[in-house]
Amino acid sequence: MKIVDRSINAWQLGIMLFILLFANKILVLPSLLYDDAKLEGFFVPVILFAFEIGILLLFRKLKIKYPNESFASVLQKHFGKVAKMIVYVLMLIFFISKAVLLYNVTYIFFRNMIYKDSGNFIFLFSLLPVVIHMVVCGLRVMGRTMQLFFPPIVVITVFCVVVGFFGITENVPLLFEGAAQQLLFAGLKHISSFGDIIFVFAVMDKVKIKKGQWKVVFSLASAAAVMVVVITVLFMVSFSYTSFMHPYAIFEIMSIVKEYGGIGRVDIISMVLIIIYSYFHLAIYLKGFMLSFQEVFLKLDASYGLIAGNLVFLIVVNFLIINLEKAVTYAETILPYFAVVPFVVVPAVGIVLLFMKKRKREDET
Amino acid sequence: MYRIKSGDVFHNRNMKNVQKTIGEIKKKLHNSIDVADRVIVKNGVEVAFVYLKSITDNLIFSEALFEPISNFERKLTFEDIKQLVKANDVLTIKPDEVIENVLKGAVVIFLSDSEKILSVDILKYNTRIPSEPPTSPVIMGPREGFTEDFKTNITLLRRRFHSDQLVFESLFVGSATKTQVIISYLDGVVDKRIVKEVKKRLKAIEIDGVVDSYYLMTLLTNRPNSILKQTGSSEKPDIVAAKMLEGRVAIIVDNSPIVLTVPFVFLEDLQNSNDYYTNYTYSTLLRFIRIVAIFIAVMGPGVYIALQLFHYNILPLKYLITIADSTQQVPFTPFIEILFISLLFQVLYEVSLRLPAYLGLATSVVGALILGDTGVKAGLISPPSVIVVAIAKIALYTIPEQSAQVTILQYIFLLIGASLGLLGLIGGMIYFLNYANSVENFGTPYLAPFSPFILSDNKDGIFKVPIDKMRSMPKSFKNNERDRINEDS
Repeated sequence: MKIVDRSINAWQLGIMLFILLFANKILVLPSLLYDDAKLEGFFVPVILFAFEIGILLLFRKLKIKYPNESFASVLQKHFGKVAKMIVYVLMLIFFISKAVLLYNVTYIFFRNMIYKDSGNFIFLFSLLPVVIHMVVCGLRVMGRTMQLFFPPIVVITVFCVVVGFFGITENVPLLFEGAAQQLLFAGLKHISSFGDIIFVFAVMDKVKIKKGQWKVVFSLASAAAVMVVVITVLFMVSFSYTSFMHPYAIFEIMSIVKEYGGIGRVDIISMVLIIIYSYFHLAIYLKGFMLSFQEVFLKLDASYGLIAGNLVFLIVVNFLIINLEKAVTYAETILPYFAVVPFVVVPAVGIVLLFMKKRKREDET
Repeated sequence: MYRIKSGDVFHNRNMKNVQKTIGEIKKKLHNSIDVADRVIVKNGVEVAFVYLKSITDNLIFSEALFEPISNFERKLTFEDIKQLVKANDVLTIKPDEVIENVLKGAVVIFLSDSEKILSVDILKYNTRIPSEPPTSPVIMGPREGFTEDFKTNITLLRRRFHSDQLVFESLFVGSATKTQVIISYLDGVVDKRIVKEVKKRLKAIEIDGVVDSYYLMTLLTNRPNSILKQTGSSEKPDIVAAKMLEGRVAIIVDNSPIVLTVPFVFLEDLQNSNDYYTNYTYSTLLRFIRIVAIFIAVMGPGVYIALQLFHYNILPLKYLITIADSTQQVPFTPFIEILFISLLFQVLYEVSLRLPAYLGLATSVVGALILGDTGVKAGLISPPSVIVVAIAKIALYTIPEQSAQVTILQYIFLLIGASLGLLGLIGGMIYFLNYANSVENFGTPYLAPFSPFILSDNKDGIFKVPIDKMRSMPKSFKNNERDRINEDS
């Protein structure tokens, strides 16, 4: 099995980032944020998205300095093989743990909302073959498929936001309900829901961005961030003091207007959106895992990365899914530590790389 | 029928022995009943004519060949015969080309005192006159269609391009049929690499016979096992001409009214010739309807079955009550019920295609009215299932060129819907579109210009803009890019 990852363009990268920044933040997260930080909880995505956009800016700087090189080769050149291996092992762990978290969240949602009598296998049978196929077909094909689904994704998302406005029944004060300490605590507790942006470092050499097209990437990433914040605010304002009782944000804001005119139930539309996001998000995580695996195990080809990714995923999922309490503990206690990878390790290494490059030039002069 | 193995040619080095040579040619052609020979003896020189009377013009033979030669008074030489023949296609051929020329409808002439052989093409067979093709009728626009005769097809294209850019190149495919295949393109518009690749792929084909252009369809693709159609096909010269203007290569196959075009993208089947002969806003509306129809055709039965089996709780109550009322008496499971109705429809479709028109109509009445109505009344099938399958099957034919693929997908998605529900259906759709995205033929992505998204090509995509706005050449595939409309015009 030969897996060839051909290059992607600015639009495809931007759409991938749109999906990455969006996907698992519109389902359970808003409810948890309200639970921990009350109405000010929406500041958490605002702050953490600002960090993510900052990481994207760092990536842009690195990409301009090393246009055709992979992040791994740049790392190895400046810090040596061992440092590169450590960074990529951390990335590898981050991607698989995020995949497990995403699967957990969507599994609980689907089982509760539309698959009342079904077990875990039906989800694995539905998700894994599609996700594996996307990974096997390569990065460009995956990017094109996401590009194809992007217009319906945007239309459905905007539709959900518009319909969500109908759910606002009363004026609710947005600020000064919780304490700043609560906000900080909520941010740290749910930091693991963010940081997906480091996927760009895994595909650094496979991204071809023409001059002037960076604005496409930044626009799409920013648009996703704004949309997530808008949906979070909409949800909190719609349900106000009972937000913590409604775990599935995007679905819940649509549920308020279940029967809409002659159309019928419109909340099914948000369900379709969540399903599409879940597939793409999982595929990106698995791709990230596979590419990181290749940099760690240099003598093994990409297919081993894919097999290893699936095996680890299945084992962890099986261990966690059979016990819901363990799954919650995993998401709120273990996983936040992995956020060190996107918010500390990778940015720190990136900044040092930029600095070293400058010092090298100074040495040369 | 002549069975000639590949590489088997006629070898007769002693052509002077006329009777023996005729005997050998006949033997090589298995003394077939349509092999004819005539011998004239003039001043001691024997002149022999060998031809197939089934595919040659007898009138031309007697008036342009036989009479002038038999009326010649002096001793005949090979050069005299060349002068006497009143025909256009006269060639001097080698002995090993004799059989091939006879089989192509030529009269082979040889003399007892010369080793040279003459071949005169007087091929004639009954051909159909160009008429409106049944596969692509139009409300407005030209109605003529290609025929089985490649010469007529060349004429139909030549009439549309009074330009020295139009090129026709010929080669033969099939060891037994030796079918003439014409490659046509517009020089200066087409990317020469595509022409080269088409020739390479055609020459690489090793097959005993090509009886229709559909034989070449899969052989021209680099993923022949794919479910996807990767070669364009049309019976209408105006469509082929339009595609050639965009830089595509047309492949005309003798004995086939279907002309192939490459490179091919899915969008081509979404377009219809009527779109170009009607108001552009109406065309846009029609294209939207076609996309929705294809979506319904592929997903309709699968979604219905998934909602019934897995997600009945997300159905609005009044729909749920209607469906529950209708299905409670049905003895089959919903999946078996839908599958049964789908197969019944497929059987009726097959029968109506193969039976004469008057019987086909009777079968449709029996199938649709009697079987359907009685089935519902007997409680074997439910009305909602009949409606869902009927809508899906009708929607399938909004893009008839894709009906085969869509039918297969319909059954696949029915199975997915019944076993995995909504999650599986959307996953199946992503899987299929991801697969379609991985297909490239002649370097052209199958789903271009949708993915990769090419804005300029989408002017004739789902949206259709006026002709004067479509200035540039398509960028979905390789061609010599140029503006189609002068900026000043």
